[in-house]
Amino acid sequence: MKKIFLSFLVLFTSTGILVAQQGQTYPPLDKSPMDMSYFPNNFPLLKIQGKATEPLTARIIYSRPQKSGRTIFGELVEYGKVWRMGANEATELELFKHARIGDKKIPKGRYTLYAIPYENKWTIIINKETDIWGAFKYDPKKDLVRLDVPVEKNNETTEALAMTFEKRPDGANLIIAWDNVRVALPIIF
Amino acid sequence: MVLVLLFGCNNNKNTSAQKDSVIVNESPLIPKEAMLNPYAAVDVSPMDMSYFPVDYPQLKMTNSITTPPIMRVIYSRPHLQGRKLFHNLLKYGEPWRLGANEATEIQFYRDIKIQNKKIAAGRYILYCIPEEKKWTIVLNSNVDTWGLKIDSTKDIDKFMIPVTGDNKPIEYFTMVFEKTETGADLLMAWDDLVAKLPIDF
Repeated sequence: MKKIFLSFLVLFTSTGILVAQQGQTYPPLDKSPMDMSYFPNNFPLLKIQGKATEPLTARIIYSRPQKSGRTIFGELVEYGKVWRMGANEATELELFKHARIGDKKIPKGRYTLYAIPYENKWTIIINKETDIWGAFKYDPKKDLVRLDVPVEKNNETTEALAMTFEKRPDGANLIIAWDNVRVALPIIF
Repeated sequence: MVLVLLFGCNNNKNTSAQKDSVIVNESPLIPKEAMLNPYAAVDVSPMDMSYFPVDYPQLKMTNSITTPPIMRVIYSRPHLQGRKLFHNLLKYGEPWRLGANEATEIQFYRDIKIQNKKIAAGRYILYCIPEEKKWTIVLNSNVDTWGLKIDSTKDIDKFMIPVTGDNKPIEYFTMVFEKTETGADLLMAWDDLVAKLPIDF
């Protein structure tokens, strides 16, 4: 319990919420900045260039913690425990059309994503509870689907957590990469 | 100029790595080597998100709130890096994207009112036409687009609001909500300027 309290304290302090509550200062820049990836990739840029030939199907909004010299998987992110796969606000997947993940039909809409990493596989979790912070109040009862995906080793180190989409014949893979690993979550449209 | 730079990069496949061609300096908070990334470069003008009620996700996490959120804004945060807003960055009378990279998005989780005009729940983008004493804030339905090219045929409504100068200078463009008696203001602050868009619900 003490550990949980401490992590909340660190969390609130590091994100400047305490400062913001005093009403004098605006929120500082996040240490783990937020980012957004669309599928088709770079959809907003393609759109203004008149090059968006395929309809918008998905986007992910996530925050990007950095490796900063640490060993991530098995240490900072413990194996076998629910990980928020991001930082700050829970990672959000928005589907602009109905999709299938694993054996589950996912209606279009907004979802949160979590993962339970192991050395050789990750269990990716799609959950209905949106507009929430991290995985601190993750509720498995709100899961839509869980899917195991294999871990691939990367030769190159990915310093900041990265998420992007990769086209596949029947949809897209959501690529999640950090440190020396990457996984691919198949989303079938 | 911005457009020229952007479209000048069209031949390069990795468009995400060169989001804001205008802002070239590294971010002071993120080491340069950390911004390089084999999958997606870390943005110089990082994205951020503000909710109303303020800090809604944290309140939800701590069981301090049970009602749904009312709205949120998703925007990117350019920084001054020694520049002056209306000398190097913005021009009076010309549309400004109120952010960087992807167009700034506001999402209303329920119907709201701005200056007595009813706005239906949903996602919109915001941009601004700044003048010295007033800003025109434009609500537009062309979501999921890049901020540099505005399709004014998709404008939903325009709202004129006053802007004040001589405030404490702020390095990073900032958008937050502030509770008011009738709803909340969307507060926009950069350099020494502060403008507030009143939203009623």
